[in-house]
Amino acid sequence: MRLTDIALQNLRRRKMRSALLVFSVVIGVASIIFLYSSTQVMKEDVANKLDQFGSNILILPDSGAAMNFGGITVEAPTQVKELDMSLIPLMQTIKNKETLATIAPKLLVDTKINGQTILLLGVDFRQELRLKKWWKLNGLAKDQIPSANEVILGSDVARSLGLSPNQTITIKEQEFRVTGIIQPTGSTENDQAIFIDLTVLQKLANRPNAISLIETAALCYTCPIEEVTQQLSAKLPGTKVTALKSTLESRDDTVNRFNLFARIVSLILFLASSLVITMTMKASVEERTREIGILRAIGFRKRHIIQIILTEAGLLGSLGGLLGYLLGMGAAVRYGSVLVKTQVHIPWQANLLVYAILASILISLIASLNPAWQAAILDPTESLRYM
Amino acid sequence: MSLIKVREVTKIYKGGDGVVEALKNINLEIAEGEFLALMGPSGSGKSTLLSVLGGLNPPTSGKLIIDDIDVYALAPERLADFRHEYVGFVFQQYQLIPYLTALENVMLPLAITSRPGKEQRDMAQTVLDKVGLGSKSQRLPNQLSGGEQNRVAIARAIVNEPAIIFADEPTGSLDSKTAMELLELFQTLNQGGLTMIMVTHNQDNLEWVSRAVYIRDGVLVPIPEEA
Repeated sequence: MRLTDIALQNLRRRKMRSALLVFSVVIGVASIIFLYSSTQVMKEDVANKLDQFGSNILILPDSGAAMNFGGITVEAPTQVKELDMSLIPLMQTIKNKETLATIAPKLLVDTKINGQTILLLGVDFRQELRLKKWWKLNGLAKDQIPSANEVILGSDVARSLGLSPNQTITIKEQEFRVTGIIQPTGSTENDQAIFIDLTVLQKLANRPNAISLIETAALCYTCPIEEVTQQLSAKLPGTKVTALKSTLESRDDTVNRFNLFARIVSLILFLASSLVITMTMKASVEERTREIGILRAIGFRKRHIIQIILTEAGLLGSLGGLLGYLLGMGAAVRYGSVLVKTQVHIPWQANLLVYAILASILISLIASLNPAWQAAILDPTESLRYM
Repeated sequence: MSLIKVREVTKIYKGGDGVVEALKNINLEIAEGEFLALMGPSGSGKSTLLSVLGGLNPPTSGKLIIDDIDVYALAPERLADFRHEYVGFVFQQYQLIPYLTALENVMLPLAITSRPGKEQRDMAQTVLDKVGLGSKSQRLPNQLSGGEQNRVAIARAIVNEPAIIFADEPTGSLDSKTAMELLELFQTLNQGGLTMIMVTHNQDNLEWVSRAVYIRDGVLVPIPEEA
């Protein structure tokens, strides 16, 4: 017989009390695991959505200043300095290339239509529509990609030219069908431009391969965007790579709020579980005063008593941790995505099992320290008065 | 040769009821192998004296010397070791751990030794055989009669081969036949070399012991005629 056997036998005998303690650990651990997993996926989802909300890296020629694009000063098209299409494959060679979800090159050309100076934006429609998911387009069907002889108009341009979907517009002596009109966005680069196929505009402007800027969306939930920016700068000589801080800061802020929420709730659950464990172990010690007196009388040292109590707490804690992990992780996998209204699937995370068990044991031990010490310092004579 | 020497032991309790002098300047010597009965009326201080002798209850003043060891001069953890090594207790109402079998209850003092599990079980089984309960070793205390529980308590007290057994009113709740069987067992153990000290208020038990002392109001006095 070892002290562990005494602890085990006591747990078997006091099934209700043991179950209560395990239950409190299970609830705490399951909630924390569920919250953690869900928060992680919420963070990922928010980051994804924010990434989808727009570009977060802008690549411009290294010098010159003539045209404003969404608050960013862009090289004037008439000046020599411009980028070219050869940069795009280079971008795919950076270390964190997998984070570059969307690469949207643009050529900016101004033209006169009906006496008005209008900005033509040559874009890769597939990439552009991925980048501008918030656009609400009249006339363009969902998932429809405009063809080479189709254009999308900003709302201000459509209004000033009196155009609506399916009408035609002549640009640089070539006819295009208006396939969609962007509902007002409040930004000049969207509302006051005509979006046209990049290759077509390059031909019309007689500037094959030329691009004015590249917008890119880096999915940087798992990567530091500053690093991606530096990697791009290193690979793309003669360019200025700029991270759009406002998007990043907004995303960081949102993610941090989730983190803070999760931590506060976890702390509350941690304290509640600890309190239940302490109270349960304290009650257990009080109930066992007589037994502890007997053990002390027959020569058990204080540390033997502490060892028995902490062994019980540790065993129950580890069981609670295991069950809590299974419950919390199972609930997160099964219902987490639905509850937090995200489409991101929550996977089973086996590494959390280790943390759950270790944390549960630690919490149980810490919460049982005081009751264990109180048991150890019981005066055997006083304890035996219960006889 | 005296195994136990009690030197001017006084025990004072201070509580809500004021100060109670439970033991007053007790002097006593108990020889090795002696079977001593500690008698006295209820509240006379005999259980207090037993707990002081057993290393459980430090006196307010005075000394307890056992095997030339000044017991209460020991550090608390050494005092626990001393109890483990020298002393076996048979408490009133047996005081078995209810969720452990008879065998496990007997194994308790061995749980804090380095003896392997099998050796512990063999030792416990041997002493249970010795007290006549070998066939009931797997029973829980509530599956045993009062006398059988008492025997388990005795087995637990002797399994670690202590020098002294302290028994507090061991026959108090037993019928006369079972009490007699128990005293016979005590006598056998005593004849095997164990020093026995038994608290009792039953004068019929005196025929089993080698000596009796009487305590009244915390003072050792000659045994009265009517006791």
